[in-house]
Amino acid sequence: MILLFHSLKKIFSNLNARLLIGILLTGVLTILGISAPLITWYPPLTAMLGPPYQPPSFQHPFGTDDLGGDIYTNTIYGIRTSLIVGALSALIALIIGIIIGSVAGYYGGFLEDLLMRITDMAFIIPQFLLALIIVTILGPNIYNIILAIGVTSWPGIARMTRATTLSVKQQTFIEAAKVLGLSDIKIIFSELLPNSLPPVIPYITLQISSNILVEAGLGFLGVSDPNVPSLGMLLNNAQQHILMNVWWMSVFPGVILSLMILGFNLLGDGLIEYMNPRLRRKMY
Amino acid sequence: MPGLATFIIRRIILYIALFFTVIVVTFLLVHMAPGDPTYILAGQVNDPEFIKAVRHRFGLDKPLYIQLLIYIENVLKGDLGYSYFRAEPVSTLILSRIPATFLLILTAMFIASLIGITLGTIAAYKRGLADAVISLLSLIGISIPYFWLGQLMLITFSLNLNLFPTGGMISLTTSYQGIYYYLDVLYHLVLPATTLAIFNIAYITRVTRGNVLDALSQDFIITAKAKGLPERRIIFRHALRNAIIPVITFIGFNTGTLLVGAIVTETIFAWPGMGSLLYSSLQLRDYPVMLGIFIYGALIVILINLIVDILYGILDPRIRRG
Repeated sequence: MILLFHSLKKIFSNLNARLLIGILLTGVLTILGISAPLITWYPPLTAMLGPPYQPPSFQHPFGTDDLGGDIYTNTIYGIRTSLIVGALSALIALIIGIIIGSVAGYYGGFLEDLLMRITDMAFIIPQFLLALIIVTILGPNIYNIILAIGVTSWPGIARMTRATTLSVKQQTFIEAAKVLGLSDIKIIFSELLPNSLPPVIPYITLQISSNILVEAGLGFLGVSDPNVPSLGMLLNNAQQHILMNVWWMSVFPGVILSLMILGFNLLGDGLIEYMNPRLRRKMY
Repeated sequence: MPGLATFIIRRIILYIALFFTVIVVTFLLVHMAPGDPTYILAGQVNDPEFIKAVRHRFGLDKPLYIQLLIYIENVLKGDLGYSYFRAEPVSTLILSRIPATFLLILTAMFIASLIGITLGTIAAYKRGLADAVISLLSLIGISIPYFWLGQLMLITFSLNLNLFPTGGMISLTTSYQGIYYYLDVLYHLVLPATTLAIFNIAYITRVTRGNVLDALSQDFIITAKAKGLPERRIIFRHALRNAIIPVITFIGFNTGTLLVGAIVTETIFAWPGMGSLLYSSLQLRDYPVMLGIFIYGALIVILINLIVDILYGILDPRIRRG
């Protein structure tokens, strides 16, 4: 117990401002997203809940849209969608990235050259455009959106995993495992990954932030699941009616989206600093 | 260490391979789509004669690998099919939109590089409060989505302050001649270019700051300080000069992000470039145009990356080993 207290105290005393604000922002937004049915009083994506184009009021804190839908409700449900799409697509990217990165780093030689060339190339092709094409062709539903963002966003994770794998590979315990005759798969999964993965964690957070941005961007261009409320969809709707000067249709969803992206960016930056105190001088 | 010629040839082969991969991926996507790929290549047409012509032109009645070869041949000839809704070849349509997109990107990047490199250098050199403020602002800057920032600009500066036009590239009510024509375009360019520049200012500031900090910790800076060189000279001649190459290559390698940013910004301000074309073709489900923009977009990004890659290899021989 005392040991636990001490380690907690140590963790907290090492927290930096960025990490703290990042945890706070993402935490609050996650809670808002999870408790969406509890803190909203209208069904999402429903028209005629009030007169159209109403500025913010007590009944409609974020105003109403062109069909008299409640923007507050849709925004809060939109947080949910952003978080789910961001996290699941980052998970897909993580799985692909880890496999490619650790296989390249562990085996080296021709296989490494080939895999890293493929990674370099995948980096160059505009991820957003590819995801856009995939979703429009396969059909704009939430699963295709998650899949498309996931399969186009792994190169960064692959590069990081390879870099950390290369340094862990030099350690003597890997050599010991080889001498013991463990299979390559066993070495990669039970010896290599537990040690090479932790430094990759901050980059997963940054990947979530960038995937949330991609999802919102697709929605903004009108490529979103019509049955799932999302922030991008709200901003697309705001764009279509922007010349009517209905600022609340854009401002509220946009502020929430920016805070969410800022939160994950702070979390990522903060984690990098937290895990490498020597970088502190260089970090922001 | 391989020579420069070998390096350049290897890179060119690599990028050509990448372009072929893009074509093959596009082809596979079209065939993975639910339903008949004819409709993706031709648009939602009900004219049986036209459908037959499209099926024949793309060889859709032949085996898959032959279809792929026909597709590659067509793409290499610049034949990306017809836009059904605009009754124009896709290539003609896209090529006519490229200048407007380039004007937007180049203006934004010129502003962003100038301001970003300056701010990043100041942050790295001064440290303290200036650094904290600049770093915080740049973090916020990279967290605000372009498309929302554009909407805010439009709502604030066009709709409420009436300072700038709400969209387009030229005034529709009056036709300006000579110098006034260019001034009119410039006036329309202010908001979209600023929108696109802000994110990039933030990004370039972050990258410059990191690289200048690296350069400042090198021995030659200590030597320069010990020699009693003036501060200005240390920053510009020594630190920035060493930091600038990675910053510029970073900007070059980020063309993809920049192109996407321009596409999104264009849709907000109805800037008549590739982005507006993409947006309207998305709404009309005009697949040939969408696929064409993807292929042209990839080609532009690949070419610029190739140029930056080769320049980097010439400037910094260590890269050639990779």
